[in-house]
Amino acid sequence: MKKTVLSFLSSLKLTIALLIIIALASILGTIIPQQYEGGESFRHLSPGLVNAFKSLQLFDMYHSVWFIILMCLLSLNLIVCSVNRFPGSWRLFRKIPSPDRSKPFEDLPPDRVLITKRRRSEVIERVESLLLRRYKKVKRKDTANTISFYGEKGAYSHFGVYIIHLSILIFVSGAMIGSLFGFEAFVNIAEGESTNVVSLRRQKGVRKLDFTVRCDKFSIAYYDNGMPKEYRSNLSFLKNNKAIYQGPLLVNHPVTVNGIRFYQASYGSIPGGQASISIKKGNGEATTIGVKLRDSFYLKEEDARVTISRIEENLMSMGPAVLLNIQSPRGNMRLWVFKDIEEIKEGIPLLFKKVPKFNPGLFKPYYFKLNKIESKYYTGLQLSRDPGASIVAVGSFFIIIGLIIAFFSSHRRLWVRLDEQQGETRITVNATSNRDPVGLRREIEHLLRHLREAVVVG
Amino acid sequence: MIINTTILSWVTFIYFGSSIFYMFKMVTGKEFWGPFASFIALAGLIAQSFALILRWVESYKLGIGHAPLSNLYESLIFFAWAIVFLYLIMEWRIKTRNLGAFVIPFAFLFMAYASFSPDVNSGIRPLIPALQSNWLISHVITCFFGYAAFTIACGLGFIYLLKGLERGQSSRPFLRFLPDREVLDELSHHSVVIGFIFLTLGIITGSVWAYSAWGSYWSWDPKETWSLITWLVYASMLHSRFVRGWRGKRMAIMSIVGFASVLFTYFGVNYLPGLHSYF
Ligand code: HEM
Repeated sequence: MKKTVLSFLSSLKLTIALLIIIALASILGTIIPQQYEGGESFRHLSPGLVNAFKSLQLFDMYHSVWFIILMCLLSLNLIVCSVNRFPGSWRLFRKIPSPDRSKPFEDLPPDRVLITKRRRSEVIERVESLLLRRYKKVKRKDTANTISFYGEKGAYSHFGVYIIHLSILIFVSGAMIGSLFGFEAFVNIAEGESTNVVSLRRQKGVRKLDFTVRCDKFSIAYYDNGMPKEYRSNLSFLKNNKAIYQGPLLVNHPVTVNGIRFYQASYGSIPGGQASISIKKGNGEATTIGVKLRDSFYLKEEDARVTISRIEENLMSMGPAVLLNIQSPRGNMRLWVFKDIEEIKEGIPLLFKKVPKFNPGLFKPYYFKLNKIESKYYTGLQLSRDPGASIVAVGSFFIIIGLIIAFFSSHRRLWVRLDEQQGETRITVNATSNRDPVGLRREIEHLLRHLREAVVVG
Repeated sequence: MIINTTILSWVTFIYFGSSIFYMFKMVTGKEFWGPFASFIALAGLIAQSFALILRWVESYKLGIGHAPLSNLYESLIFFAWAIVFLYLIMEWRIKTRNLGAFVIPFAFLFMAYASFSPDVNSGIRPLIPALQSNWLISHVITCFFGYAAFTIACGLGFIYLLKGLERGQSSRPFLRFLPDREVLDELSHHSVVIGFIFLTLGIITGSVWAYSAWGSYWSWDPKETWSLITWLVYASMLHSRFVRGWRGKRMAIMSIVGFASVLFTYFGVNYLPGLHSYF
């Protein structure tokens, strides 16, 4: 039982199957909209299907139980395979074959042989120093008429695959740590306002920060052609009413405060953040005041309290308007004050008869006038803390190293034999490699050229 | 039209000419056409590099200086450039001119799409805030080198399948001029390896950019997901070769499937429901 489980986990068929299943699942995930914020519409699907998808967690697939199980299987598969194979690779790395093996020298093509009449001791010395310079673990073995050398290069190439696979495990663990111990959230803060409560992504509720974020100002700079050039939020981070950090936040330049990274993610404007209205009593002077939503002011003579209960950028296609709620001994009165009341009145002659509450002079003897509505920006911030990110970065570094080792290095083992025959020395060269036969051939040619220069020509 | 786009639209025709010569070379087997084809491709590459530098300089003159790697037009141009660049290096190393007929046409098609499609705006536009990042430049360069290597592998895959039609002496003579299947398989594998390393680098640089621009190194948006899918396709391909020893026809087909996935990552993703707000 244990055996079958292990052999299942160590099979490469499982690996390829998992890679393909994960690829297919990911394709599915790009077709079915993934519901991070909710509010995504699935109206074109039937309710039954939506429920089926929901129970399979298809709307948040990459965080679903089954996707995580796939990832775990993949990791287990990798671990089991690596553990199984590693001793073999280690042996290949450590083992030094005997220099005087005869097998490498069977059936050698004639161009692997050099013949020299130079003094034997000199030949041996030169060959040995050449090999020592160019190869590792050079071993020599002397027999009656023969001296054999062994040297090798790139034995570390057996580990490239392990480094790649290890970095994939590092990725997976970094991602797990990030999703277990990190969080992602967003918050919109209007200019001048502050908050310490942010909404977690994927409908996980809210989170309270142990400091307060205030948006002092949001601004956009434009290029000449009208495209946006810069989004900038001036933020203050406050703890116990003391600023712990203050500065601008720009796209591509996140700010880290108390281990939480803040990003400029979006922006918008809140219509009617503030309005400017004028109040005139009879034929007197008008006074102009700036008000915000839910502000109220007091009209002394009439003992009236006026509250701004709504501010609209465009009410019923008639332009900006504010709703005044007037409480006085005369009773309660609601009054819509339009900015463009003159034009509206021209278009609809008996407007004030039909809709008295559009009459800015209804609350006699006062006359209200809306000068303008100023909209206010809010900045959309994205927050995250991801303790796994640095682990993933380490994985990225190692996967590149691993790929380079696995694909561009090879373990080349070289045998050189010097045979004495009637005053001549016959030098024979052969080599093997675990990959890249073309590179190996080039290396042998290269070595032969150097040997020739060292012992035949020079 | 600005001068650099004029040069680039001429380069399109140069690559077309080069493709034609490569095809002559392949069909007739006459060595004579080969140097022509390579020389024209090289001339196109030089003119294209010149135009890219010019475009870069022009953007600075407009006061919105940035590397010409920022929109669909510029990425298509760079894609074609990388294909020709990698192909010429390969040609120089393996010393055969029989493969260009299946590679240079891709460069021509991407150039033609960039230069003549009404959907592709060739103007130099300023960079929106999200694109103002050096990581973006390294991201685009690595990704498109990867894509170019996969394009070459796909071209080689087609040649392999074509070569597979050869039966004895009687079959179409031009098939005989194509390199041997083992050679094609080896070359295609090398291209996939190069492409895989660049794609890996591209995904990594892309995540670093995402990490500095929108708060998460990986957010499963369709483009990211599709680049992962492409990566998985090629990873399965490499594994079936390394461990199961698959060669030849299966690999040729997989290199074509992989390239389809590349194309989808590049073009098709725009038709999927996206979630990211890229401003
Ligand atoms: C995506 C996740 C990956 C998984 C799950 C995975 C899994 C495996 C497994 C199970 C083996 C077989 C080991 C054995 O036979 O005992 C293997 C071999 C191998 N893998 Fe991966 N691998 C992954 C990614 C990669 C990547 C990205 C590369 C780089 C191209 C790679 C390169 C190799 C190589 C070269 C071998 C063959 C080793 C040999 O035969 O000497 N792997 N992989």
